[in-house]
Amino acid sequence: MLRLNERTRRVRLLLVVLLLASLALVTIDFRSDGDGPLTRIGNAVASVFGPLQDGLSSITQPVGNFFAGFGQVGSLKDRVRALQEELALLKQDQSRVLDVFAENERLRALLDIKERLGLKTTAATVIGRDGSNFQQSIVIDIGTKEGVRKDMPVIGGEGLVGRVIQASSSTSTVLLIVDPSSDVAVRVAETGEVGVLAGGGRRDMRLTLLNPNAIVTAGDTVVTASYRPTRSGSSVFPEAIPIGTISRVDPPGGNVTRRAFVKPAVDFTTLDFVLVVTGVGTPRPVASPAASGSASPVPSPGASR
Amino acid sequence: MIGRRVLLLGLVMMTGLLLETTLLGGMTLGGTQPELVLLIVVALGMAEGPAAGAVAGFVGGFATDMLLDLPKGLSSLVFTSVGYAVGALREHYEGTSAWLTIIIAGLATAAGVIGYGAVSVLFGLDGLVPVEVVRHAGLAAVYSMLLAPFVLPAVRRVGERLRPRKVVRL
Repeated sequence: MLRLNERTRRVRLLLVVLLLASLALVTIDFRSDGDGPLTRIGNAVASVFGPLQDGLSSITQPVGNFFAGFGQVGSLKDRVRALQEELALLKQDQSRVLDVFAENERLRALLDIKERLGLKTTAATVIGRDGSNFQQSIVIDIGTKEGVRKDMPVIGGEGLVGRVIQASSSTSTVLLIVDPSSDVAVRVAETGEVGVLAGGGRRDMRLTLLNPNAIVTAGDTVVTASYRPTRSGSSVFPEAIPIGTISRVDPPGGNVTRRAFVKPAVDFTTLDFVLVVTGVGTPRPVASPAASGSASPVPSPGASR
Repeated sequence: MIGRRVLLLGLVMMTGLLLETTLLGGMTLGGTQPELVLLIVVALGMAEGPAAGAVAGFVGGFATDMLLDLPKGLSSLVFTSVGYAVGALREHYEGTSAWLTIIIAGLATAAGVIGYGAVSVLFGLDGLVPVEVVRHAGLAAVYSMLLAPFVLPAVRRVGERLRPRKVVRL
């Protein structure tokens, strides 16, 4: 009995010693304010323990993750749902951003062609299309109130779009150059050969060169010429507006003219902004590629109205 | 001989702490990590009595404070008390059902977590929300009860090696 009491007393004494030691540790740590001997010992121990922890972590992480998955099924499901919603919103945002980027590119192209050719223009938005077999035209959101008149040329960022065939006070109809009834006086930029370009409907446009022995090849660029074989005797289009590239050339056949086919530069299916040419100004001097690539302020479609 | 026992105890605590911070660190239960070192302390107290429980608590608490960069001495204070209490009360539950042992391991863990929270408040440490401490204590207790069937027998075996060998003098 005495031995038991002695033992109990010694255990209690041990407890008191350990608790006092713990309190001493607390006191030393609090007094040292994070820069005492205990902190230094802790840092030293941690520097030994750290690599061990890293090593074990890399071994046990897959196992831990596997079991952690069971414990977190509920919260993971919520997380997946939240992330899916977030992803859907981000996709919407991304699509909007891409749309804005594309629009920005088209507007930049419009501004560039306007400045390059020195044209006075009024910007317009395409508000309707007539893709019937009888006429290929678009409707734009400006009319006589904005100074639009019949026969005014209309251009897009990549080149010639067509000409105004009807103008009301607030809208205008533009006959596209691909319409079979459209004809445009053109010039092959590389050789200077002139001819008449007729719309081909849904196929490539037909180019009739006046010189039967003209040397033209596929890939040559076709631009507007200040010549038009019409009764009026003059072209409605200013010179040097890009139209497209020659896609195919018929072999010479002893005719008085020579025929080629032209793929339009403008993609009429995605046309949304155009410029109505109201006059001719001073063309921009040809700049170095670096300079021409510099960013310039892009007006909204109605900015130049 | 004493040096060997202290070394073994230190190794056990280090292993527990390594497992607690690596393998079990990511396996949270409702956001609460297991208190493996505390459970080892409880298991040693249960198996070897109050003295071993108190020493294990001090060593385990000291190692926890040092390696997890906690305020030094707080875990030692709490773990020492828990280890001693579990060991001192073992005559009341020793030899009863295994379920009761597991439940006591869980309750001791909860007491340790709440005790740590209380001591932290006493020493003026900010940032502890009482409701959160109680919630963590409950979840840590459940976690300990889940780990107890594996940890208690393993620690009992280690405890046997920690016992001083009886020397018979002829």
